[in-house]
Amino acid sequence: MANALELELKHLIIDTLELEDVTPDDIDPDEPLFVEGLGLDSIDALELGLALQKTYGIKLEADSEESRRHFANLKSLAALVEARRVD
Amino acid sequence: MTDNTLLSAPWRHGMPMHSVAWHADTGTAVTLNELHARIAAWQTTLDGLAAPGQRWLLHHRDPFDFAAALIALWERGDSAVLPADDRPETLTALDAQTAGRLGDVADGHLPDHGGAKPRWGSLVAGRVAVSLYTSGSSGEPKRIDKTFAQLDAELATHAELWPLEGRLTISQVSHQHIYGLLFAILRPLCEGAPLAGATCRYPETLANWLMRLADARQGDSQVQAQVPPGAVLISAPPPLEHLPTELDWRAAPSVLARVYSSGAALSQAASEHAYGVLGVAVSEIYGSSETGGIAWRQQQRGECWTPLPGIEVRDDDHGCLWLRSPYLPSPGIWERQADRIALEGDGFRLLGRVDRIIKVGGKRLSLTGMDRALAAHPEVLQARTLALPRHDTRLGAIVQLRAEHLPVDHASRREMIAALRSKLLGAFEPTVIPRYWRFVESWPTNAQGKLSAELMARLFRDLDDRRQPRWLGVERLGDRQCRVTLEVPERLTYLPGHFDSRPVVPGVVMVQWACELAREHLELVGEFQRLERVKFARLLLPGERVTLTLAITPVAQGARLDFSLDGRHGAYASGKALFGHSADEREAVHVE
Repeated sequence: MANALELELKHLIIDTLELEDVTPDDIDPDEPLFVEGLGLDSIDALELGLALQKTYGIKLEADSEESRRHFANLKSLAALVEARRVD
Repeated sequence: MTDNTLLSAPWRHGMPMHSVAWHADTGTAVTLNELHARIAAWQTTLDGLAAPGQRWLLHHRDPFDFAAALIALWERGDSAVLPADDRPETLTALDAQTAGRLGDVADGHLPDHGGAKPRWGSLVAGRVAVSLYTSGSSGEPKRIDKTFAQLDAELATHAELWPLEGRLTISQVSHQHIYGLLFAILRPLCEGAPLAGATCRYPETLANWLMRLADARQGDSQVQAQVPPGAVLISAPPPLEHLPTELDWRAAPSVLARVYSSGAALSQAASEHAYGVLGVAVSEIYGSSETGGIAWRQQQRGECWTPLPGIEVRDDDHGCLWLRSPYLPSPGIWERQADRIALEGDGFRLLGRVDRIIKVGGKRLSLTGMDRALAAHPEVLQARTLALPRHDTRLGAIVQLRAEHLPVDHASRREMIAALRSKLLGAFEPTVIPRYWRFVESWPTNAQGKLSAELMARLFRDLDDRRQPRWLGVERLGDRQCRVTLEVPERLTYLPGHFDSRPVVPGVVMVQWACELAREHLELVGEFQRLERVKFARLLLPGERVTLTLAITPVAQGARLDFSLDGRHGAYASGKALFGHSADEREAVHVE
């Protein structure tokens, strides 16, 4: 279910990055995760990449065009996990 | 001219009935005879503990007892280690390097009753008299040894610039630090002037003492011989900023000859406020534990600092202050300081600390620059950023906002953070923008007026313990009362974290916070017994900002804690918690 996975990812982002002022409600699935929107940065991208690998077994190139596309917003991230998770 | 040095040991000689301390509330003097008896009593205690030549941990709030203990151990051939405060961790850290604890602390030895005469030893210029600890505004506390020669050089300057001439020294600061030690204890001892019989903790006490001193000066001449001809006040920015105007200060201008402040710079507003209330200009001393006094000023005469006699200052290409001072361990050597200055006439203006540079995500960043950028926003009064050891390095920001801009809940907090972020993004890389924000109403400082490393750590402690609220400062309302400002962390463990349901703070957690914070701030001890009349009036949600008012009342079986948790909508929770005597206390009660 898309919503359940999206919520799971929201918690993953908040806990991994220790975002103290963000609740799952604050993350709009269509809004950019980086710079504007949630305001994540390059250090966060690395952390998040590691967390995706640890949780779902998904490996991403550190700084590729592809990674950037997957990290665009929560929806694209959920789509990536849905398609590539190794459970 | 009389010799006012420690090395001449002025306490050994003099008229037996000469007063070394004066109790303003009773109008009674403590004589040199009594000081000698107390020194002898301390020496009896020390002799029972160890042979001479030791280092002793000394902490005593009572200025007279502190002075007696210090002289007793000096004359025996010992030296004193002065802890910055009396918290158990502070004391434990010093136990390994001292022969024992003396004074009003746990396991502290106190003077025996003994009528013997004190023994006088020999004081040597190069011997270490005291070891002090910095309050650590930038990191770990550091030990600083002071020899008799160093202390004497400083005392001589003070005596020359501002002779006490028999006036009463009233202190509002701790003499466990260099400023209080020199001004509140050693100066009166060396200059043969009385010190107040107790530390003056409240402005009400100060107003009362000044009034009583003024009245005593009017009394009959018999009594008057014992009454000091006036007073000096040893103060610091926190008590001067909070001098209440509504008290009766009529006696102050005629009685107070000088008011001193040190520990941190006094704001111009606070300087004017104190001048207005007391009718005496505040003499500020600039210096540090390491350097001793460097310069002084009265803001009513200008912003510039005048070097103390014997102190030489210059600057370098970076605007840093260089100092050559007889109070330093190597008096002939120029030493660079971490403050930037602009030389002006015979003095200088202070421009702030040298930039603090750190690396975030591989990029160099000036924290000082970030502080300035934040402070440039109209809503912000003051800001201080620091590196937090989280995910490489993330910045935390302590931001003092005008009261009307303080966030009150999750939404307004996010708005404030977003607004500050978007302004900073114009000038900084995203990675260096603070991630953890602490919005405070008043600037958090310790008793010396400094935002210490310890306070900064306290403000971010909830990051490492998700059971705790965000702590945003404590305001003391009296001896047994305080008000703590808190926020509910969005990631608090106790919030049931379901998306659809409504996360709230359980009532039992609010009570738990009240008890823990009362132990931390009001020295509440004893075992929790039961709750009484507890009410939970409304739901407490993540992100909400609340104040927790705590008051302790001693009762027959222990102590009662009254707590009340309030926010902008009114009361969230209130009630009473009862505590029994702790095991130690029970024993003490039993023995008596």
